[in-house]
Amino acid sequence: MNEELKKLYKTVILKHDKTPFNFEKKEGATYRVQAYNEICGDRFELFFEIKNGIIEDMSFYGFGCAISKASTSVLVKKINGQPIAEAKKIIELFLKNIISKNKNTEIKDEEMTAFSAAKDFPGRQKCATLAWDEMKKMVNVE
Amino acid sequence: MFDPEIIRSHFPFFSHHPELVYFANAATTQKPASVIRGIAGFYEKENTNVHRGLYKLAANTSQKYEQVRQKVADYIGAEKKENIVFTSGTTAGINLVAQSFLAPRLQPGDEVVISIMEHHANFIPWQQLCKNKKANLRIVPINKKGELDISAFKKTISQKTKMVAAVHVSNSLGTINPIKEIIDISHKKNIPVLIDGAQSAAHFDIDVNKLDADFFVFSGHKMYGPTGIGILYGKEEFLINMQPAVFGGDAIKDVRIEETIFADPPKKFEPGTQNIAGVIGLGLAIGFLNKINKKEARIYLNKLTEYATDELKKINGLEIIGRAKNKSALVSFIFENIHPHDMATFLGAENIAVRAGNHCTQPLMDFLKIPGTVRASFSVYNTFAEVDRMVGAVRETEAFFR
Repeated sequence: MNEELKKLYKTVILKHDKTPFNFEKKEGATYRVQAYNEICGDRFELFFEIKNGIIEDMSFYGFGCAISKASTSVLVKKINGQPIAEAKKIIELFLKNIISKNKNTEIKDEEMTAFSAAKDFPGRQKCATLAWDEMKKMVNVE
Repeated sequence: MFDPEIIRSHFPFFSHHPELVYFANAATTQKPASVIRGIAGFYEKENTNVHRGLYKLAANTSQKYEQVRQKVADYIGAEKKENIVFTSGTTAGINLVAQSFLAPRLQPGDEVVISIMEHHANFIPWQQLCKNKKANLRIVPINKKGELDISAFKKTISQKTKMVAAVHVSNSLGTINPIKEIIDISHKKNIPVLIDGAQSAAHFDIDVNKLDADFFVFSGHKMYGPTGIGILYGKEEFLINMQPAVFGGDAIKDVRIEETIFADPPKKFEPGTQNIAGVIGLGLAIGFLNKINKKEARIYLNKLTEYATDELKKINGLEIIGRAKNKSALVSFIFENIHPHDMATFLGAENIAVRAGNHCTQPLMDFLKIPGTVRASFSVYNTFAEVDRMVGAVRETEAFFR
């Protein structure tokens, strides 16, 4: 089996795919963000509250591949409980790391860097950024 | 004797990719050297536009272009070459029938009947037309095996039905539909029928006359020909009365400031400079297919598909999607815990090309309540050893995800 691919999945992705963080549908949430990839049909929804400028009670639900599910799960884990300004920074950092060609050595958090290899596999970069891209739009408005 | 290795030697693609297992044939087939060289040769030595060229080279091109029309007519058992319209592909053919044939006849409250297993190309044109005309799109379901529910079909069609459109071979399930029966049932109620032959044109013996199909559409690139060329077969009485949907040069008899008189079919549906090299390439692809014993090819492909199915079924947690009794050369499968795209990425990293997703049949996937499938589709150059490689990689991936 392809070692690069095994590495990509093994560290973070399989864990979050099998046991996603706050994987729960909350119909009554004040804020709901849709993350839909029309190319493959992956569809997730983020649920959260914003109280005093802090993202709270965040959860997500939906269906997609292991990469998109895990990356959404990591997003929820990383920005839940963060002030919006901090969430913005985290999102920027994550996306920059995925898009850039050089490995970002500043980030020590494995969950934040695990997805960067996705771009080496045809058509899979979007899976890693799907929910992050949508959340970025949302926090930039707030 | 049918020998996939000999057939394979005609395809330059494989000498460039000796390690690749190409199982995406339902998406597009590879092209034999005769097609590739023929197209290059046309551009190198003969490139001229068709029709009205008063010099020898152009006259030759026109002649070749029309000879391919005859070749296509012979290939599908059409009565005349005038029944054959060159299009850009299956999608364009279906849209042409929807716009030029059905749209003027469709009244509010009328119905169009299709099946749940239709490709988006044979779904959206009817859906949109029905919306515009306040007509109703009726969908015939399938049974658990993925076979069309014929008794439901009989109940669905009525005096309100103005068109039936059905796929010959499902690109997602592999189901071979009983198109003769569908046509006969529909004709008893005087309903015209379009058959989407995109997946069947390569290896099935098509006889539109025997079938009594009103329209039959297919693409060149799924039958070893180039992309961007396709065929719409239509019965003469229908083609004659259809207004073109796209207007332009060469499709006319007479143009005045006030009025245009269109050419006779098929020319009136071929305005503008056509895909001449594509037509030449399609002719060569049919030439290639005519040298293959199709019956032997189908027997071989059935064996290959059965073998792949049996071997895949042994893998823990794998479910086959589409278990029709009459099935073509593809196998769709899913795992409860592995998304089709993850599986396809792992197979891709092992140099095994399969397709994954909804295969442009989203209503079917919704009906089956699955996000998509992994689909391995086979062709005459594929081998049992390649199936073994895929099965091994699927097994390893399953173990990794466990």
